[in-house]
Amino acid sequence: MQTNLLYQETNAKSIKMLDEIEHSKLCLWLQDVAENRNKQAFTHLFNFFAPKILRISRTKFSNEALACEVVQETMSNVWRKAHLFNADKGAATTWVYTVMRNVTFDMLRKIKGNKEDTLSEDIWPINEPVANEDESYEDHLAHDNLLKVIDTLPQAQQEVVKGFYLLEMSQEQLAKQLNLPLGTIKSRLRLALAKLKVQLGDYHD
Amino acid sequence: MIKHHPTFELLKAFVAGDLPASLSAGVAIHADMCDVCQQQIAQLTEQVAEEHFKVEENLLNRFNVDEQQSLEQLPVNNFENMIADITASNNIRVIPAQKEKTISFKGNNYLLPRALHNMTLGKTAHIGKLSRLRMQLNENEIHTSLLHIEPGGGVPEHTHKGFELTLLLEGSFADEKGAYVKGDFIMLDASRKHHPISNQGCLCYTVANDALHFTQGINKLLNPISTFIY
Ligand SMILES: [Zn+2]
Repeated sequence: MQTNLLYQETNAKSIKMLDEIEHSKLCLWLQDVAENRNKQAFTHLFNFFAPKILRISRTKFSNEALACEVVQETMSNVWRKAHLFNADKGAATTWVYTVMRNVTFDMLRKIKGNKEDTLSEDIWPINEPVANEDESYEDHLAHDNLLKVIDTLPQAQQEVVKGFYLLEMSQEQLAKQLNLPLGTIKSRLRLALAKLKVQLGDYHD
Repeated sequence: MIKHHPTFELLKAFVAGDLPASLSAGVAIHADMCDVCQQQIAQLTEQVAEEHFKVEENLLNRFNVDEQQSLEQLPVNNFENMIADITASNNIRVIPAQKEKTISFKGNNYLLPRALHNMTLGKTAHIGKLSRLRMQLNENEIHTSLLHIEPGGGVPEHTHKGFELTLLLEGSFADEKGAYVKGDFIMLDASRKHHPISNQGCLCYTVANDALHFTQGINKLLNPISTFIY
């Protein structure tokens, strides 16, 4: 009886938790791109977002080449502007959406024959002006190296985190691979995630 | 205190990127001055993003999102090339701190809202206590301007066929319905007649999608120049 209740509770939570874990994963990849220019992390982001951006763009542009241009332009901005992403301000999905919406807005204006002006960033700014851009960027590089932080985790959590975030294995695959119950994988991920967030300064408000 | 806000529908369209640049800028300027709308916009953006980028069951499969049919249209090679292309450049985009821009009417300087920084500005025209500077957005029948009213000035009673947005950037004015303050977002539809007067003077951002139509007495004579104001 006791066990059953407990089981149900964990189960109900895990659905919500999974979302949060997925969000954190995107967030970590984005930070990894920002801080380490990590191409693997960018490829993960690309694989997640590009097909969705393409699908959305096809509803806005009848021309396939233009829809692809939105993908190219958006993902290129993700690569070049990742350092402007601030995890304290919102989810990675919200940030990428903003980048995509802005690209689309400027392109539509161009196509409608209006103007070659780029107004989107004035209307929906994606950055906070930083006085010492270069210094703070260097600072970040030195302290917030994601991989280094992962290496400080207990071995058992490291395995799970590396498999999940870096190799992009699903939680189910990890359970099989490591021959552990799914619940254990989930709780290790959750623990590791909490630690990573603290270490990467997610919670300094 | 700000009393007039964009409708929920307008905020949604703003977040979706579906409004013309003129109205988008209006909502953005208002939200910069209004915490309530700013929060609502943040929330809406998060929701829309969530909806667009729903997490699918199997992240391992790059193409799981699309139906079989569009799967065939996916430019797989393109995607591989795109990743290589994009990551080949190591430039990061450094965004310089925002510089302030000011604009001057009749010897008064005003800060130009950020949303207007890169719009092409036309020449300023004057008539009595009114000055109008048109923004060149090329949005066909939609006309966007900065309208400056000197103390004691006003716009004669008028209606218009479409909508008319007046966003107060500085100062105050009043019409039959009451007084308006800095930040107020006043959207009128075609049914409303109004006759704004500014005792202290003001600067407004205006968007209208049709010429005004003056309705009273001698003011009817103004109709030929009605396109001047909005
Ligand atoms: Zn408001």
